[in-house]
Amino acid sequence: MFKKILIANRGEIARRVLNTCRELGVQTVAVYSDVDSAAIHVLEADEAVCLGEAEPAESYLNIDKIIQAAKDTGAEAVHPGYGFLAENAIFAARCEAEGLVFIGPPAQVIRDLGDKITARQIMVKGGVPVIPGMTQSETDPETIRHVADEIGYPVLIKASAGGGGKGIRIVRSADEIDEACVSASREAKAAFGDGTIYLEKFFDQAKHIEFQILADKHGNVIHVLERECSVQRRHQKIIEETPSPALDPVLRDEMGKAAVAAAKAAGYVNAGTVEFLLDNEKKFYFLEVNTRLQVEHPVTEMITGIDLVHQQLEIAAGRPLSIGQKEVIGRGHAIECRIYAEDPQQDFFPSPGKIVFMKEPAGPGIRNDCGVYSGFEVPMDYDPILSKLVVHAENRDTALRRMLKSLQDYVLLGIKTPIPFLISVLRSEPFRNGAVFTDFIETHFPDWKPETPDRDIARIAFIVDEMLGTRKGKTGSQMKATVVTPFQTLGHWRL
Amino acid sequence: MEYRLKIDDEVVPVTVETDGESGLTAFMGQEQQTVSYTVVSDHQIYLMVNGRGHNVYLNDEPDGKTVMINGQAYLVQDADDLERKPVRKKGAHNAPIEVTPLTPSVVVSVLVKEGDLVEMDQKVVVLSAMKMEVTLTAPFAGKVIGIKAAEGDKVAPGQILVDIEKETDAT
Repeated sequence: MFKKILIANRGEIARRVLNTCRELGVQTVAVYSDVDSAAIHVLEADEAVCLGEAEPAESYLNIDKIIQAAKDTGAEAVHPGYGFLAENAIFAARCEAEGLVFIGPPAQVIRDLGDKITARQIMVKGGVPVIPGMTQSETDPETIRHVADEIGYPVLIKASAGGGGKGIRIVRSADEIDEACVSASREAKAAFGDGTIYLEKFFDQAKHIEFQILADKHGNVIHVLERECSVQRRHQKIIEETPSPALDPVLRDEMGKAAVAAAKAAGYVNAGTVEFLLDNEKKFYFLEVNTRLQVEHPVTEMITGIDLVHQQLEIAAGRPLSIGQKEVIGRGHAIECRIYAEDPQQDFFPSPGKIVFMKEPAGPGIRNDCGVYSGFEVPMDYDPILSKLVVHAENRDTALRRMLKSLQDYVLLGIKTPIPFLISVLRSEPFRNGAVFTDFIETHFPDWKPETPDRDIARIAFIVDEMLGTRKGKTGSQMKATVVTPFQTLGHWRL
Repeated sequence: MEYRLKIDDEVVPVTVETDGESGLTAFMGQEQQTVSYTVVSDHQIYLMVNGRGHNVYLNDEPDGKTVMINGQAYLVQDADDLERKPVRKKGAHNAPIEVTPLTPSVVVSVLVKEGDLVEMDQKVVVLSAMKMEVTLTAPFAGKVIGIKAAEGDKVAPGQILVDIEKETDAT
């Protein structure tokens, strides 16, 4: 096992990786930018290296500085977390060149699977079902139109170098297709410098089912069951769960085998996720491989009892997998809600600022992977994820109730969070029935407003707080007296 | 003591009578609520209302208090206070009449310069906050008389970024 690891990330994921390292007795090095000098991942690491200015290019995305920090501290391996440099093939290659172990797949695999068309070709060769469509990029509108006619509308025009929803167009009929190709290509060229496009069948009511995989350096590959991530907003996941209500044991087994085949076809090593699209006829198709540890990995850990970060370290250290496929067993049900610093009533606008007070939910089957604390100033420079609230229970109903209770117990003052929105989603009939598809939010919550059943209590609370003057004198902007006098408690009186 | 407390658009009159050290009775409409309370911390009060316990969490805002109960956040404002204080400047259609960010942000680019004539809704500044880009627009037609921010600056709500003098009606 490594003696010292550098974690090239911040926030909740850096802390989560640190946790496993500490349990294993591995020394940890954190890296941070100026605005993160009091961040929790810095406070909990054995050593910390300041990278410089807040801007990601100067800090968490700066390959030279991170490699230097690893060398200066004598770290043997680097864990990239998710986001930032996690799927950056150049970074992975640099680590390899500098004698550092990159805790993830080889650079070439990251490169292959990062290109959507190459990934499709690998999967076709590997016998993994892919979405009907093209396996090479095309510029000739005649060819594109021909393929569209063959596979049937609606179709999806996608940018080969794409991501984040850019360079994508849904086409529902033949007369829209030429224009869609031109516009998608133009958008892709502007966003990624590469205007090549291809075409796939589009499914209106589809589910996003992903399988966790683990692959060691000796050719052993297993899957660690699935996660369903269909509740998304602007292509960003907000609620994930396992097992998926849509899968029965037979389908699970089939998809699991396909995920393992996909990993083998790509020569995958370490932890990764194979994403599938499940249509409403229970047919599944390869979507993409995420060549990193994912945000929602905790739900898998809760039902299987496997520490995925521990597995990542063992694999990276060259050990063969210690778990066989037959030993992967899921028990109960787990749900995760992502808690972002966003205001659900202002179209989820980011809400950075100081966390004046925080109280985390706790209890049996409750896990909060949290990157912030009471008094922490949430910077505006990075992804606004604050924590991942995860629950585990014997079955889905109990898990739902446990998550609702936990959300109600989660207090964050000073910034806004989507907790009220999450409560509404989890309470909704379609969610309870598992009738969740990728258009869930647009369909059921287009004009959401928070439920406010306790207005009377809130008013009483206001008055009591006002009378007590608890925080007065500390903000300086209101009455200075800390002793409550009748002149204050009398309130508004009229002659 | 009488209060008029506003939540969203609903103002409700509440009268309270204290009852010893840690109790009071609240009268709201036809209802009477018996209240006792325990201060748990600077931000948490345990309220017993008509025999039922509630944990409420409070934070001060510039124009009221945020009260969190069971995962929901309520902005409670004193309607009398609001009427006495100067109203936050709002123009037509409740749009802000100043070019200022809604949240702490970084200036990505300033699209106008001093002396430029601008139309209402013309894009004037591009900001970035938490990886999202937002464009601020001119609240009315007029002339740019001052640029108070530059590319790369960190700015906060309340800060005027671009000063625009409203054009007078010329007919």
